[in-house]
Amino acid sequence: MASITQDNPSLVERLRNPATVRDAFTEVIAEYSEPLYRQIRRMVQSHDDANDLLQNTFMKAWGSIEHFRGDARLGTWLYKIATNETLTHLERERKRRGLSLDEQEAALINTIEADTDIDGDELALKLRKAIATLPEKQRLVFNMRYYDEMRYDDISEVLGTSVGALKASYHLAVKKIEQFFSDED
Amino acid sequence: MKENNDILKTIARRDGTTVPEGYFDDFARRMADALPERPELAAMNAAPAPRTMWERVRPYVYMAAMFAGVWCMLKMFTTVAGGNELTPIEKNPVMAEALSSDDFMNTYVVDDLSDRDIMDQMMEDGFDPAMFALDPEQETE
Repeated sequence: MASITQDNPSLVERLRNPATVRDAFTEVIAEYSEPLYRQIRRMVQSHDDANDLLQNTFMKAWGSIEHFRGDARLGTWLYKIATNETLTHLERERKRRGLSLDEQEAALINTIEADTDIDGDELALKLRKAIATLPEKQRLVFNMRYYDEMRYDDISEVLGTSVGALKASYHLAVKKIEQFFSDED
Repeated sequence: MKENNDILKTIARRDGTTVPEGYFDDFARRMADALPERPELAAMNAAPAPRTMWERVRPYVYMAAMFAGVWCMLKMFTTVAGGNELTPIEKNPVMAEALSSDDFMNTYVVDDLSDRDIMDQMMEDGFDPAMFALDPEQETE
């Protein structure tokens, strides 16, 4: 699986060459589809939505590939596009269905409970429900830090938030999740 | 709380989600096929060309040329205006000739007197304004 923190220099070079950009982008899809899918899926919960959003992410990245000059890391750039797509989708769905934030949280938990694409790990399922109770931004920070083990600097680049604020947000998220587990016991 | 922290460690960063068999391989292939052609990318520069010596020094040359231009303009104005030195009238042939001409002095200096100057001159010459005063008897008529 590709790492957000390390770029393949040869791949980046080929992305900037008109003769090789298409083949290089196909490699990007193969390398980054899984980490991006995981990030999106943890936010929207549904496989179908995650699949659509992943396609949109790569379409947008391909549509603006000439703007990727290698100054930012490829992984960070793709995570940023995926995050924007995901947040826009959640906002659009909330408005389309006329849901409040609490109602959307309940809908996410329902989706998790109805999810058939799970490996039967009860603790992991419980954690997903706990994460679904977090505010969107806090959920993003927790997912990136806990599941993807991203550095705060990288998360900061993706979300445009200071490292200090991210640390505070992650700390709060952990506290809320601990509280969720305590309440459930 | 300690126990719950242990739970996060126990879960070991698994999110418990699964995807259909071969999803990622299939996705990469389908996605690559779905990418639209982008012929405009042919105009994209593979890599920025290294900067030439002229490109590196050009801003400094432009700046030097600008300062030189400003200096030339100031020099030109100073030359045309004759600098800050005042030229004596006698050294200016046009002014010297004009001041020595009676016609010039009568036309542009003597005739250029105001009414107040004329009145002052008349008073100095003994003019009495009372001679123009009206007689009171004539005034009542």
